[in-house]
Amino acid sequence: MQRAVMKKGNSTPRVSKAVITATYKENFAYRNQMAVSIFVQPIYFLVHYFIWQAIFQTRDQVSGFTFDQMLLYFAVSSLVEFMNWDSSGNKLQRLIQTGQFITFQLRPVSHIYFSFCEKIGQRILAFLVEILPVMCFYILFGIRLIPAKPVWAVISLLLSFVLSFLIRYTIGIFAFWFVKTDGVSRAVLLLTNICSGAFLPLNLYPQGFQKFLFYLPFQFVSYVPVRVFIGHYELAGITMTIPQIVFLQAVMVGVMFLVNRALWYLGIKRFAGVGA
Amino acid sequence: MTGLKPKKEAGKWRFSVLGLYIQGVKTALASRMAYRGDFIMSMFIMMIVEFSGPVITMIIYGNGASFPGWDMNEVLLLQGIFLLSRGISFPFFMGIVWNTIGRVQEGTFDLLLIKPRSILLMSIVTAFDSEDLGKLIGGILVLRMALKRLPEQPLSHWISFFILFLFSIILMFGFALFMAGLGIVWIGNYRIYEIFMSVMDFGMYPKSIFSKSFQSILTYIIPVSLLASYPASALLGSVDKDVILALLASIVFLLLGLCFYFKIVRNYTSAGG
Repeated sequence: MQRAVMKKGNSTPRVSKAVITATYKENFAYRNQMAVSIFVQPIYFLVHYFIWQAIFQTRDQVSGFTFDQMLLYFAVSSLVEFMNWDSSGNKLQRLIQTGQFITFQLRPVSHIYFSFCEKIGQRILAFLVEILPVMCFYILFGIRLIPAKPVWAVISLLLSFVLSFLIRYTIGIFAFWFVKTDGVSRAVLLLTNICSGAFLPLNLYPQGFQKFLFYLPFQFVSYVPVRVFIGHYELAGITMTIPQIVFLQAVMVGVMFLVNRALWYLGIKRFAGVGA
Repeated sequence: MTGLKPKKEAGKWRFSVLGLYIQGVKTALASRMAYRGDFIMSMFIMMIVEFSGPVITMIIYGNGASFPGWDMNEVLLLQGIFLLSRGISFPFFMGIVWNTIGRVQEGTFDLLLIKPRSILLMSIVTAFDSEDLGKLIGGILVLRMALKRLPEQPLSHWISFFILFLFSIILMFGFALFMAGLGIVWIGNYRIYEIFMSVMDFGMYPKSIFSKSFQSILTYIIPVSLLASYPASALLGSVDKDVILALLASIVFLLLGLCFYFKIVRNYTSAGG
């Protein structure tokens, strides 16, 4: 009987609901920090607006993008970035560095699952506090935030949500080897920003570099969901239909999950709980 | 008796503003060296991050597009100056922002307040950010690359450039004061940085690409154009007469920053501990 109660208490939906709710409430206390984006993002967008406005004064298209498409690209890309942001890697690194990770080893829930639920809770709040107001700004600015293929866009956004989590969490795993991973974390964050299309649409890069980017997982974090949203995918001269590229994105999520688990398996053996 | 004199002199030097600052730098470096691999990597990444702006410019020009009235090397020069200004400010004094936010959150800001020196000095001394030296190296490299590709400039251009660059640093210090002051009121909010970084972003591009109303804001209200656009124009010999007003605006900005910071410190009643 007791076992049955215990089992019910620890069931997967209950744990996830509890973690999501707790994280939501915890972050709600710091909602003002999230709300900073309402001020910051429009400024960044205005900078982009002026840059591209100046550039498009001398020509109608840049790498196949019109001025309106370029603004749409940056608007959707920033929303994807908000949705995907998470600190799971940093949290894991701190837990390992301080030895507090040992408490997770004693809990009847896997850390990756716990961490993913935390991200969901945090991003639900971010959707209300950051994403919706920024979306309103874009709409007032005249950006048409209507996906070309809504169902595929949602699937692609969800996959990029999972993939970005796996990338960040994998960086955190490196703490089993390096203890402090600020440097690695910054390096991967920079690489992600450059190679995911957060800075610039990837098809603006030189052709050879585009080919290299095609085989990395980063394009699936930002560039692919944005292109799926716009309704047309092209990189390094390779054109794909929307279902094809979303399928490839799903495969990349699977590959990244396997890499993550393999590193976890190797890393966890090194954990000695020093500092706890 | 005579042996005491050099000792006294050494003590005087040690507790001077510069002496204290050097001690702060030494301490910050020593503590960061505990994880030296991570330190070197972080510094390297900081340097690489600085290249992102110029790389974007190169990609834009590589695609045949351009900023009207500016060739690629001129834009790179402007961005190099911007990065150099940031590269000097961030390691040497911009650290007061995270230092203040962190200390207020933990309650250790009170410890600085009871020291027998100015709170502003103590906040700067304890905030040397060694990793940000990577920004400085990045800025120097970009500036050097741009200068190599441009024709040599006469001495008069260099003199006006150095004067304007000094004001660029003053403006950065003003930003730091506002951010640190806000960090005392807005407890634990490290995103204060982002607010100002986003505003500073306007300074990374030629002033002429912005609309007239924005140009006025960036010259007379928050003179972000002084961060790079004006110094670059001075070096290229094409600075306009509005620069005088921008210089005045930067001094007003600094004074307002000082007033704001000390007013907030006076009203500080401790938050943690």
